[in-house]
Amino acid sequence: MTVQREQLEADVLIVGAGPAGLACALHLANLIKAHNASGAKPELSPENTYVLEKGRELGAHQLSGAIMNPKALAELVPDFEKSAPLDTPVTDSAALFFTQNNSFRIPITPPPFVNTGNYVVSLSKLVKWLGEKVEAAGVNIFKEFGGAQLIYERDGIGGVITEDKGIDKNGKPKDNFQPGYELKAKVTVLAEGTRGSLTKELVAKKKFDNINPQSYGIGIKELWDVQPGKIQPGYVAHTLGWPVPPSMYGGGWIYGLSNNRVSIGLVIALEYTDPRFDPHATFQKWKTNPFVKNLLEGGKLVRYGAKSLPYGGWYAMPRNYFDGGLIVGDSGSFLDSQRLKGIHLAMKSGMLAAETTFEALKSGDTSAKMLSAYQTKIEQSYIKKELWKVRNFHQGFSHGQFRGFINTAFQQISGGRGLIDPMPAHAGHEAYKKSDGQPAAPRFAGDGKLTFDRLTDVYHSGTRHEEDQPCHLHVADLNICATKCVEEYRNPCQYFCPAAVYEMVKDGAGQKLKINFANCVHCKTCDIADPYQIINWVVPEGGGGPNYEGM
Amino acid sequence: MKILVITEHRQGKWNNASFETIAAAQQIAGATSGTVSTTVLGKGIGAFADELAGKAVAEVLAVENELLADYTPDGYCIALKQVIESAKPDLVLFPHTYQVRDFAPKLAAMLGKGMIGDCVGYRNEGGKLIFVRQMFQGKTVADVSFLGTGPWFASFQAGAFRADLVQAHASGKAPVNAVSVQLTAAQIRTKPLDLFKEAKSAVDLTQAPLIVAIGRGIKAPENIPQAEAVAKAMGAEIAASRPICDEGWLPMERQIGSSGQTVAPKLYLALGISGAIQHVVGMKGARTIVAINKDQNAPIFEIADYGVVGDIFEIMPALTEALQKAKS
Repeated sequence: MTVQREQLEADVLIVGAGPAGLACALHLANLIKAHNASGAKPELSPENTYVLEKGRELGAHQLSGAIMNPKALAELVPDFEKSAPLDTPVTDSAALFFTQNNSFRIPITPPPFVNTGNYVVSLSKLVKWLGEKVEAAGVNIFKEFGGAQLIYERDGIGGVITEDKGIDKNGKPKDNFQPGYELKAKVTVLAEGTRGSLTKELVAKKKFDNINPQSYGIGIKELWDVQPGKIQPGYVAHTLGWPVPPSMYGGGWIYGLSNNRVSIGLVIALEYTDPRFDPHATFQKWKTNPFVKNLLEGGKLVRYGAKSLPYGGWYAMPRNYFDGGLIVGDSGSFLDSQRLKGIHLAMKSGMLAAETTFEALKSGDTSAKMLSAYQTKIEQSYIKKELWKVRNFHQGFSHGQFRGFINTAFQQISGGRGLIDPMPAHAGHEAYKKSDGQPAAPRFAGDGKLTFDRLTDVYHSGTRHEEDQPCHLHVADLNICATKCVEEYRNPCQYFCPAAVYEMVKDGAGQKLKINFANCVHCKTCDIADPYQIINWVVPEGGGGPNYEGM
Repeated sequence: MKILVITEHRQGKWNNASFETIAAAQQIAGATSGTVSTTVLGKGIGAFADELAGKAVAEVLAVENELLADYTPDGYCIALKQVIESAKPDLVLFPHTYQVRDFAPKLAAMLGKGMIGDCVGYRNEGGKLIFVRQMFQGKTVADVSFLGTGPWFASFQAGAFRADLVQAHASGKAPVNAVSVQLTAAQIRTKPLDLFKEAKSAVDLTQAPLIVAIGRGIKAPENIPQAEAVAKAMGAEIAASRPICDEGWLPMERQIGSSGQTVAPKLYLALGISGAIQHVVGMKGARTIVAINKDQNAPIFEIADYGVVGDIFEIMPALTEALQKAKS
């Protein structure tokens, strides 16, 4: 089916309304406002900046712990403390070591876990607030529109095409069919977040990779309302140990918010060897440690969600500038893998992208050469300073926690260099060991009070998709799932997906893959962790996905 | 500027959006010192043409033709092409109806002209006509103008202009001019059948006092008749949890749960349903819940008033038989 698309031309198109994309939009609008006020030419308009957001609402797809270092926000909105939904400042930072039945506070909290001066926030609320500021500055934010295809131009991009709406599950147009818009822009900023689908395509096609492939983790989170007095607002704890085996990299978090609300979660690096490892079940087990169990006793699950996060850091950062475009935030690897903090770096990257774009618009030159100023700005900012110190940190853990801590020690005393620099990384999915033929353990069921099965949790993510649309999880070859993967890895998609999207069902004598795409919480784990790299996550019809209000 | 408005009627009734478009045309004509003509097509359209003549228009073109009795895209396009070629308007306006969506782009293409569809307004900028249409689901609007020579084609969204603002003819009646068009039955490639109204939903589960619902435990579509037999014996409606409808074993309208219907019958018999929360939210309001499942740990038993741990394939036929016996 060939469709005629409506075309719109913008100065700047930002794909994704997360902290990076919105910081970029707001900073750019501020720069343009000051520029126009000074009477300088050419006159620019903030209304020629468009932001696309696939979620139903601003913040609907935002999920993080979250502890935020406020320094980028302070630059962007100097009086942010007056109106930003900061929830609560960190009052106590603990590092806990868990065994199955016990927990110990590590007497001196290691520096990466110290969060004095930071805030415990709901990223979803913060992004909603930031988005309102962006709209007030005159920028157009188009909610429920995802970037579906790149428009390639020169040696980079010239815009994106939004997703087609009103297509049925067989790919045929329905009554409400509306073809996606062709949005052309002088500068397109990819701010898609972790494992951006357009960013992935662009980086692969143009070979923009860095020396290391990107490494990822998956974070699984629950928001609880607990009994009064169980936790102080601003108390933050990170846990090491059980139930994450020493061979793996991961740990838990407990953050006290105001009004007896608690954010808990577990992060696991997606580079484990057991293809049947189940991150969701591991998180559920983690909650049965007496420390967490006691905290949650009498409480109520409010919301659930999951999202992957890029660990690769400096050496996995793709080339972030090219003809007609820039990459910001998680899509561009702006995350401190040691502290697992990315909000301030995402925002800062967005602001530097805004400055670069602003100069480019003034000069009328949006070539890679002009936009390479972005890279220079990154190198001169605290982004480089922070990421350079931990450039080898995550790679040091590729052989488990024991070697990881030794590597970290050497890195600490050598400014991040450590024993090998740059320390190489491997794509996480290469770590799987082939199946040993043992039958699978029964699936984790949950008790319905403290622990839950995946479907119950997915229900609490508020996830909704139009049911009559094509599946947005493209599997290149379903035969591999039904034959080779059954044999070799026993279909890890059934285990790593935190939303019960993938399911092997009986098909005659064999099995076939059933994809419950309507459950998808847009975490991108499948795109990352599938052993054959045949799952391609693409944007579903706009508005589909989780509702992370308050997360 | 000479404007021609194409009106729409069906089964002896106007589509009221026709008058909204006439109002739009009158306003544009006022702004551009132009004239408005209207046209009506069909069979036995005298009264329609007469009504149009009462409006402030230069003329009414009445295209009376047996072959235009029912709407067909071919018939309308062939006829209107001739009307436009003889009347030579600069601008042709339509109400943006389903019918117009069907034929107007085709008509514009036949004449090699552009069309701006679904407009919500217009502006006259120094003699240049700008049309306004919504984008991004109404979040923003775009200004669109025509390049090249007329006739130009545009349609207006229902509700964009007010029909009650149509001006009546100042001195009584405008002339009604009959236009005859060359049209043969062979040129019309579609054959209209009787009009019908699509049934909203064959079943309304929310009104059913008794519901028999099946889940994954039914295993295969071949087994559904067994559950239907239970439902029939009870006089109940059949419903299902999501996986069954996902597989297409039962239609979507029979799905109960967060992505289906919410029901509160007197009795809900759950056969082989595990009771995932997504399903439970759609039926927990039932007065009495009876669940049969072979897994004694299935969460459905937590909300069931009566639970049977057992094999539905043993129980369904036995239950059907018992129900039939009790009835007779």
